[in-house]
Amino acid sequence: MTNTAQTIDPALYAAVTDAIRAEAKKVLEAGAAAAVVGWQAGRRQGTAMPAIITDPAKVAELIFSPACVNNLALYLSKAKKEIRARGRIAIVVKGCDLKALVGLMGENQLKREDLHVIGVVCAGVQRAGAAKDIPLSEETIAGKCRECTVHTPEGADVTVGTLPDLPHFTPVESEELSRLEAMTPAQRWSFWKEHFARCIRCYACRQVCPFCYCEQCLCDRNRPQAVETTPRPAGNMAWHIVRAMHLAGRCAGCAECERVCPMDIPLNLLNRKMAKELKELYGHEAGFEVKEKGPLAQYREDDDQSFIK
Amino acid sequence: MPKTITDQNLRLLIDALVAEGKRVVGPRAAGTMTLYAPLAKGEELNLGELPRRSAKETFFPLCETILTYERDKEGVRVTDVDPGTIPGTVLVAARPCDVAAAPVLDSVFSWDFKDEFFLERRRKTTIIGLACTRADDACFCTAVGLSPNDTKGSDLFLTPLTDGGYRCDAITEKGEALLATHASLFAEGDGTPAPLAEPSLGKLDLDRIKAWLDTHFEDPLWGEIAERCAGCGACAFLCPACHCFDIVDEGGETKGTRRKSWDACGFGKFTNHASGHNPRDVQPQRYRNRIMHKFKYYVDKFDQRLCTGCGRCIRACPVGIDIAEILSAIGTRDQEPGTGKD
Repeated sequence: MTNTAQTIDPALYAAVTDAIRAEAKKVLEAGAAAAVVGWQAGRRQGTAMPAIITDPAKVAELIFSPACVNNLALYLSKAKKEIRARGRIAIVVKGCDLKALVGLMGENQLKREDLHVIGVVCAGVQRAGAAKDIPLSEETIAGKCRECTVHTPEGADVTVGTLPDLPHFTPVESEELSRLEAMTPAQRWSFWKEHFARCIRCYACRQVCPFCYCEQCLCDRNRPQAVETTPRPAGNMAWHIVRAMHLAGRCAGCAECERVCPMDIPLNLLNRKMAKELKELYGHEAGFEVKEKGPLAQYREDDDQSFIK
Repeated sequence: MPKTITDQNLRLLIDALVAEGKRVVGPRAAGTMTLYAPLAKGEELNLGELPRRSAKETFFPLCETILTYERDKEGVRVTDVDPGTIPGTVLVAARPCDVAAAPVLDSVFSWDFKDEFFLERRRKTTIIGLACTRADDACFCTAVGLSPNDTKGSDLFLTPLTDGGYRCDAITEKGEALLATHASLFAEGDGTPAPLAEPSLGKLDLDRIKAWLDTHFEDPLWGEIAERCAGCGACAFLCPACHCFDIVDEGGETKGTRRKSWDACGFGKFTNHASGHNPRDVQPQRYRNRIMHKFKYYVDKFDQRLCTGCGRCIRACPVGIDIAEILSAIGTRDQEPGTGKD
């Protein structure tokens, strides 16, 4: 059955909000979790932000809306160890966010038994810069949500919400990837050169990425320097190549890097291309099962070695 | 007697300044956004939206070369960049929240060590400010004591008129000179100013906020905010008043370049010492510094604040941290000194 309306029924978000609050209250009161990581409304109408709730009396602050864009898996990574230090954590995840949690478990960053995972059925979130507080539509829905295959997270402790019928959305991400692949290598090089030239090295992409949890980033090293730290073309290109390679086979596609880039660099396009290559070469897809190592982080005797001349 | 200029003549003024060899910087469309960027002609001026980055880079570029060095058998040769080569510049149609930051930054760049690069650019730049007629829900200039038609920092000030065009008020001698040299593009007269932007946030009690900061270096608030903070530099890099920079030598043993580029107190390694000790080794200390520097330290030292209410940090924060909300909350807090304990 297809949705003849052009927008997503906001009733899902209201129902999920109620269910999140009830579940959060339950786990906090029962002592099953020391804190709930979820989303709460921002001061500005139609905005939301990450929330860390420890008091059962405050669960009414938790919400779910199309503004709940953040991948909260960030708050369970090593970069945010003070949160995990509180004890067992309940975390609210969309399907795309859960893939990051699965990846972190595979990398021994998290233990499943230390988490209480509240999965939310998600029809989509809004794109960066979209008009706030209106039902999601072709104009306002994020690129990644148009072709989402994980509206309902699998493997959570509890999953809340029922997916409504969804309108058809233009698959802008596939179209973008096709355009990139249709380019000659020289065109592709200049495409990325132009985008990376805009980078101001604010590292918002790195800081929101659940997989960028290195305590010493190669790109911060200065004794000796590995990558030029100044925002100039050479260092920018090097930084973004390092980033893409380190995430290949690990990135689960939450697209947070692209959403937060203040310079609108299509960072997730690069991640998606890498993910596609790894699927074609190794049949590997990140975020669906807890694997210790991705294909670029292991050696096997039956690896294809024909490229060694 | 005030003067007016039509939109077309404003663009012709840009053409004339470019023809004189001036570097003209103004809001220009740049892909998906607007940025303050060099204009090749008046037509490129794009007044549709607030530029994504502030105008501070007119004086304080994202990255600039300070010197170059070469080493061979003869020895080491160091070549300083001559600030005298910095071109005469006109910053045109800059928003009051951007322009007001320039004189605030003068204090730190001319205190103790004189930053000749910054100061030379300031000396050689004429600023044409533009009153603001549209605010969004992140704007809060009025809450920090400025206004959408504040002329602070401007040499010449443009006020949009209801019938199109702008009223021009010369604020400084530089502005007078610009009016005089291009007199034919301006007309005598006045006009009805278009309604100004109306930021929604109420006025903040900045003295009360300062008083609280004076006694709350240790407070649970810093931990509460920092728990959410991702530790990136988006807020600082987009801010018109944040001015921290790093200096690095890039290159090799035989030749290289010393460069100055933007830095941010939110970064984990920002205060990392050569010894390995980091006095701000956790995010609450870093976020505290962001607020303290803007609303306490700079006030103590220069009697000015490092915030003009442009709202860029609010719009750009990946995790929704809202400095206006934090300031509002601090303004209503109990003034008793903190205990430093949760």
